Formats: sequence, structure tokens, C-alpha cells
Amino acid sequence: MAEGSEKGEDLRRSLLAIVAEEGMVKDRTIGVDDQLADLGIESADFVMILMAIEEKFGVYVPVDESLTEAKTVGALLDVVVAHIEEHRRQQVAS
Amino acid sequence: MKPIAITGLGAVTACGFGADRLWDAAREGRSAVREVLFPRILRQQVKQMARIADADFAPLLETAKPRFQDRTAILGVAAAREAVARAGLGPEDFGERCAIVVGSGLGGAETIEQGYIRFVEDPAARSDVMAIPKLMANSTASWIAMEFKATGPTLCISTACSSSTQSIGLAADLIRAGIVDRCLAGGAEALLIDGAFTAWEALHVMTTSHCRPFSRERSGMVLGEGAGVVVLESMEAAAARGATVLAELVGYATNADASDLLRPDQTGATTCIRKAVESSGVDPARIGYVNAHGTGTIANDLTETNALRTVFGDAFDGLAVSSTKPIHGHALGAGGALEFIVTVEALRAQIAPPTINFLGVDPKLGFEPVPNVARPFAADAAMSNSFAFGGINASLVVTLPGRG
Repeated sequence: MAEGSEKGEDLRRSLLAIVAEEGMVKDRTIGVDDQLADLGIESADFVMILMAIEEKFGVYVPVDESLTEAKTVGALLDVVVAHIEEHRRQQVAS
Repeated sequence: MKPIAITGLGAVTACGFGADRLWDAAREGRSAVREVLFPRILRQQVKQMARIADADFAPLLETAKPRFQDRTAILGVAAAREAVARAGLGPEDFGERCAIVVGSGLGGAETIEQGYIRFVEDPAARSDVMAIPKLMANSTASWIAMEFKATGPTLCISTACSSSTQSIGLAADLIRAGIVDRCLAGGAEALLIDGAFTAWEALHVMTTSHCRPFSRERSGMVLGEGAGVVVLESMEAAAARGATVLAELVGYATNADASDLLRPDQTGATTCIRKAVESSGVDPARIGYVNAHGTGTIANDLTETNALRTVFGDAFDGLAVSSTKPIHGHALGAGGALEFIVTVEALRAQIAPPTINFLGVDPKLGFEPVPNVARPFAADAAMSNSFAFGGINASLVVTLPGRG
């Protein structure tokens, strides 16, 4: 599968890896139920994560309400997946 | 705080040349935000910004020194000329009793960028020999001092989005301390160019939609550029030359969150607003309009709403609050001065300009700024706030003449 074209569970796995790497979560595997605060992921880490997602998937995710509401890794993935899917719909449309 | 006379206003923004053009656009809710595409950005995600049109910039170039002045200084000098003309200042009003306090966030961003591009593309090519004097942050302040032969203290405050609000506050302090009689104060910013813009994109705080401060579904800010300069004088100096006092600067406070470089802190913002009101001696209930920092980001608007609600208490519900950033863009180091000018004009006109693009109340804020259309208010005092990256807060309070 081409880089950045993953779907479904593959997409979520790929995003999870980005969150772990860019959020510099060390010494443990992260899961969707983990609280972002417990992982030490702060505002600056968010920006790093969003930049990496933009590079890989070509989608710009602003720090909007849905994102700041996300308290767990899973919630963060939901927001990003929604943005990626919307981005893909727009690309097909154009 | 002893009142300081505001006798001149000057602004260059994407709304056009002149403080009047800025105020007209703000009052009418007419946005200068347009799509701008940068050729060097391969994957430009954010395309909306309030950039000064070439047709508006060209006349400024005719009387500028582009070999020696960055776009920032050209805008700053133009705004200063307007402010000086409106104040009716003559050559005898400058000299060592006049200070210049003009800030900028990035300084000569265009010069920096062009220098690096030239160096990378052809390291053997001659550098712009004037690059350093053009890009230094104090260049605009120094050009304004030279323009009018103001030989008092010349200062440049670089505190991101609070630069020009602090500049106006410090200028008032210098006058109140008796160090000078008058001061040209404000800020200039011009960083809507490829490299600087892509760096802003990377922060992910700009919206790809519309900037809608305090609104539900807001998703970030929109950048602008420009320069705002005001003339401040001691009441005695203004009276001595028979100047018309547009409004009086009666309150100022600034402080630091000292907590996070990017995330605003509610305690810091609240304290700053409260201290500014206290320094003015004006009862909060007398303040009828607040020009909010209102960037349209989730974090700022929540923090600012809570801070205003805390300070104004019961008076908060009757308070007209708006953010005019979706109209002139967030002009960063110039933003505070531009919004101060809007605040002064709003007070004089007794009209609160609207927060455009407002979709509805965000339940988390429980607050409606003046939505989409201007509305009249009746009060003799107003406030303008700036909250900068770096955790630097600054607030100014103005009154109609004689009401301080």
C-alpha cells in the first residue's frame, strides 16, 4: 500500500505510530485508551504530531475545538481520521 | 493614572491606506481577507490572509527608500506620517522632547528571507549590503525618528502580538514620567511571504476556513500585516499647541504568564485586564466596549472570555465585545496598535464594530460578542487587549476627552 493511503485499521495503526514517535512516548506501547496528559503529550507535541500527519497524509489539521477536546489517544485519532477522510473526499470531488 | 492625550492616528492595513479606511472596514464588517498563493510553498494549506494590495502599496513606495527600507519600515513610516499629519504636528514639536516607541514581531522578515534565498541560490552573489540595517527590528522606529527628527529616546519592543500594545503603554509611561512631552507609538509587521508564512502554517493555529472569534466551530486565526502609529502627548503639551484631543489614554497594564510559550494562562490574562482597569480609575461598568484580542483560536478565546467575565463581573453581560481580526487580519507586532486605533474610533463614534463570521454561541464560552453587524453603545470608556506568544499580556483603557 502506498505511503499515506492507508485506510481503516491500517490508518489508525499508522497514526498511532506517529503519535508515539512525535509525542516522544518512551518505554511503553501506547493504546487508544491512554490519556494524552498521562503520556506527557502537551501543546508543543500536538503541533509536532500534526506536522507529521500533514507530511504523510497531506492533510492540514488545525488546532480546533474537536482536537482540544480530545483527551485520549483514541479521541485524537478519531479527530485526525475525520480530517483525513474529509480531505480525501474533497480531493475526489476536485 | 494621569491621562495622556491621543492626538493622532495612522494606519496602513489590507483595508487600505489610512486609519479611516481601517475604521470604515471594521465598522461595516468588511473583511480584507483574500486568497493569496505563494509560489515557493509547494503544499500551501492555508490560503486566506489580509495582505496589503499592490495597488495600495505602490503609492507608499514612491516616497520610500526601498534600497534602505524593508516593507515593514515603509508601512511604519507611512502610518507615522498619517498620524503626525492628523495631529497637526510641526517640526518644532519633535526634537529631544519626542520619543519613538515602535515595535515589531519579526522585523524585516522580507529582507531576511530574500537574503537567505539569494545566498542559497548563489553563494557567490553579492549580498544585499543594506540587509542588516533593513532587517533589524528597530529599523522602523529609527526611520520614523529620522523622518521627523525626533531625538528623544527611540525604542523597539518585540513581544510578538503584544509589541505595539506595550509600545503605546510604555510611551504613556515615558510621558507621565516627564521624560518626554510626546511620543509616536505603535508597531509594524510584514511577514506575509513564503518562508515566514509556511513557518506559521507549521504551528497549525491558522484556520483553513474563516476566522470566527468566540464563535462555535471556530478553528483558528487569520494573518494580516500593516502598521499602526498613534501620537501621544501630555495633556499640557497638547493644550499648549491647541491640539484636538481625540481621546485620552487612562489605563495600562502588562504582565507575564511565565508558564507556557504558546498556551495562554487565564490567571495572567485576568490579572492584566484587572490591573489596567484599576490603573485607569474607571469603574468597570463605565467601560462600554472591549476590542478583544480574539484570535479565533480555541485557547485564546476561552481564556479571554473567562478573564473578561471575571474582571467585569455583573457588568460583563452589558459589555460590547468584538474581535476585528477577521477584518484586518492578525497583524501580530502591529496588531495591538491597529486595534487600539479601532478602539479609539469606536469610542468616538459610540459604535461597537462587529465580530464577523460569527455562527452562534459556543456553549463552552456562553458568550456572544457583537455578532456580524455593528451596534451602538453609550459609554465614555473602552478597552483593547493583546495576549502574545511568550505569555505576554497587555491592556489599554481609553476615555473620551475630559472623562478620565
